[in-house]
Amino acid sequence: MSDTLASETHCVKAMAAKDFSSGAHPIWCPGCGDYGVLSALERALAAHGRPPHEVVLVSGIGCSSRLPAYTSCYGFHGVHGRALAVATGLKLTRPELEVITIGGDGDGYSIGGNHFIHACRRNVDMLYLVMDNRVYGMTKGQPSPTTEPDWDSDIAPGGIGLRPFNPLALAIAAGANFVARGFAGDPQGLADLIIEGIGWPGFSFLEVLSPCVTFRPEQREWKHMVRPAIMTAATDRATATAQVLAEDGFNLGVLYRGERAPVATPASTKITLADIERQFAIGV
Amino acid sequence: MARESLSVVFAGSGGSGAMTAGNVFLRAAANAGYYGLMSQLFGPQVRGGESAALVQISTIPIEAQPDCFDIFVALDWDKVEQFAVEIPLDENSVILADKEAGAMPPSIAKSKAREIDLPMSDPDLTRLEKALRGRHINIFAAAAVAALAGLSEWNVGSALQAVMGDKSNEVIKANAAAAASGAMAGKKLGLDFKLDRARKADRWLITGNEAIGLGALRGGVRFVGCYPITPATDLVEWLAPELQKLGGRLVLAEDELAAINMVLGSSYGGTPSMTVTSGPGFSLMIETLGLAVAAEIPAVVVDVMRAGPSTGIASKTEQSDINIAIHGTHGDAPRVVLAPTSIADCISTAESAVYIAESLQVPVIVLSDQAFGQTRVVIDPDSKRPKPMRRRINGAPSGAQFKRYAIGFDPVTPMPLPGTPGYQWVAEGLTHSEIGLPASGAGAHVAQINKRAKKLQRFEPGDFWGESWGEGDTVVIAFGSTIGPAREAARRLTAAGHPVRIVGLRLLAPLPFTALASALDGARRIIVIEQNHSAQLYHYLLGQKAIPVSAESVARPGPLPFRSSEIASYVA
Ligand SMILES: Cc1ncc(C[n+]2csc(CCOP(=O)(O)OP(=O)(O)O)c2C)c(N)n1
Ligand code: SF4
Repeated sequence: MSDTLASETHCVKAMAAKDFSSGAHPIWCPGCGDYGVLSALERALAAHGRPPHEVVLVSGIGCSSRLPAYTSCYGFHGVHGRALAVATGLKLTRPELEVITIGGDGDGYSIGGNHFIHACRRNVDMLYLVMDNRVYGMTKGQPSPTTEPDWDSDIAPGGIGLRPFNPLALAIAAGANFVARGFAGDPQGLADLIIEGIGWPGFSFLEVLSPCVTFRPEQREWKHMVRPAIMTAATDRATATAQVLAEDGFNLGVLYRGERAPVATPASTKITLADIERQFAIGV
Repeated sequence: MARESLSVVFAGSGGSGAMTAGNVFLRAAANAGYYGLMSQLFGPQVRGGESAALVQISTIPIEAQPDCFDIFVALDWDKVEQFAVEIPLDENSVILADKEAGAMPPSIAKSKAREIDLPMSDPDLTRLEKALRGRHINIFAAAAVAALAGLSEWNVGSALQAVMGDKSNEVIKANAAAAASGAMAGKKLGLDFKLDRARKADRWLITGNEAIGLGALRGGVRFVGCYPITPATDLVEWLAPELQKLGGRLVLAEDELAAINMVLGSSYGGTPSMTVTSGPGFSLMIETLGLAVAAEIPAVVVDVMRAGPSTGIASKTEQSDINIAIHGTHGDAPRVVLAPTSIADCISTAESAVYIAESLQVPVIVLSDQAFGQTRVVIDPDSKRPKPMRRRINGAPSGAQFKRYAIGFDPVTPMPLPGTPGYQWVAEGLTHSEIGLPASGAGAHVAQINKRAKKLQRFEPGDFWGESWGEGDTVVIAFGSTIGPAREAARRLTAAGHPVRIVGLRLLAPLPFTALASALDGARRIIVIEQNHSAQLYHYLLGQKAIPVSAESVARPGPLPFRSSEIASYVA
């Protein structure tokens, strides 16, 4: 699996964002934040410089998880909540590919919450980008793990009454090596964070505020609420955790950079199947 | 008079070393050229609970537990009685026990087996010394029984060395001394359990779990994602270091949902991949099984069945996952379901599973069970290997837009590896168009459903469908670990002038209609035998019209294995 891919052996011409678009028409509502994420991702990949066939976008289920088909990259659109596991299997056996996992807050924090924790802990070298709209968009508006306690919905009249959890603090605690927050309405800033996240060794977690204009129209206000983070990215987990627990969730930028080495590829010894089979032979 | 086979149970409480005794005895017999089989019984404790090693040795291959055991060795009597129903004894059986170990429990005594005193530790030792040295009575007992069977001390010695391989010199010495005195004590018992001469040949000693692991490696599996579950754990524990030596990888996932999704991810990348589990874990994998079907991703899923439903009995066998293996998951989701026909067959069935998954781009389920997985047998290593079949990654027409899920004459369409320029595609679990874009129209849905179905309809299993043994117009259909006792029953009935044919199914889905029909040719009576309460195989075969409505069903739950006498008395 260590074949060198084309880009490493041939000279490749500079790429443009449009080279990463499949041209397929997104199913997203007009004004959905996910358009901004798609555009930022295309820009980032063009700048990153690896051609579309060396990139694999893995996603689960949700409006946001539809993204892979809108790019010209390889992709895997799996079942709800399991994208990180798919990406882990792929990256561990094809480490030379650029593997990026994509999804929503329901997909990643609720049904896929266990995989999120363990992907952080495993620290496989990949970027995980979550489009957080604090709602289940695809199923038409139910509260997610990041929804405010008093947000009124059909399924939870008057609000769910639960404190939203903090995915950034969780990621830091579980061992993610890079934690950042971006905003769908700031494609250039977001593209920069994507580029840095892809380049950072180990598991990079990028939480993107991506408004669901249909079920959370009030999120249109986010563009007035976000700001570049005033604090500098911490490199120790205690400080980083304290910072993300104390802030209001609208600081954009890198909030934690770790130095943990990603999981290594185990060294293989030169051995054949016949050597292995010898253990079963009887006697002598 | 020398005998063809001998069955022995070593039983005792935690720390008595019953399994080690069984392993030493089995290996000593194997060294001498005998075939053999050892099943394991465990109490409910996690560690150090009572256990029993059920060993048979013979001049011919063994695939079933005996109706009754010849010798029962009680290393002690502590809680051993809970195994009574699983260890049939009768008045011809002999119980070897040290009088000092106390009285035989009533559940064992009820068998009317003859009890013979076998002092297992030196009578001159003090109580303390006995407690200290008591550790080696298992080896003493194994050597005593080996002597009864006529196995040489050399064979016992080399077995001891193989089993104790990593122990300190001192321990090995102490055990060798115990073996020497055990052999002496055995000879003095004046019992005749001598076996016929054995024919020496190159043989293997292997468990069903190891055999599946080996077959998977032969088939090219280089990635395993798994989560521990009895009785499948020892399979992956065997695989982990071997995979690594071959440059592959095993990942301990956070749960079975992750395990099977990791497998699909790595398989999508081009690496033949497998997950290994048992009932509860298999249930968790079901949604993703449908994804593998819809997105057409090869994957091997091994289910080492245990008694269910729910957590059931973790350490004991049952054949009750037929329904979930064949039908589990929503929607129309054709997949391949295989069941090895013997422990030896686990190797090539697992290898074939990889080839079928890769060449048809489908999930393949291998139904093994605890009775296969955790039983160690002596086998003739097979020289014939299934013909390798690979995944189609090349040959797709190039052009404007690559049609990963193209509808055409051949339902198996190329799946280029990520990294290949010009063929980018998205593996898609939603109903999709030919290029793999989500689609919700009837046309795409029907076309893709048909494509997946056609892959299996076109699958030509050849000889792989299963096996048929014997003649006769009474036919017993069985699969997996029930085939062994069924064959033994047929052997007896045939010898008694009532020929019985056994049909062992290896390919459960898609059903090999033609091959099965010809295997059933001339049958006047058909009996389907399986180890579950609801007659899952019987109803499946009936529903598929693969057997006539006159066919009979013998179905009962585990965990007790079928005895050949039980099958013979029903069939006769
Ligand atoms: C196992 C399973 N349960 C439920 C669903 C239904 N479902 C589809 S998408 C979704 C939630 C998506 O929310 P999120 O991940 O936040 O993505 P968004 O649509 O908001 O982008 C749910 C519950 C499903 N597809 N699979
Ligand atoms: S429902 Fe919300 S998240 Fe989904 S596409 Fe529409 S705006 Fe976007």
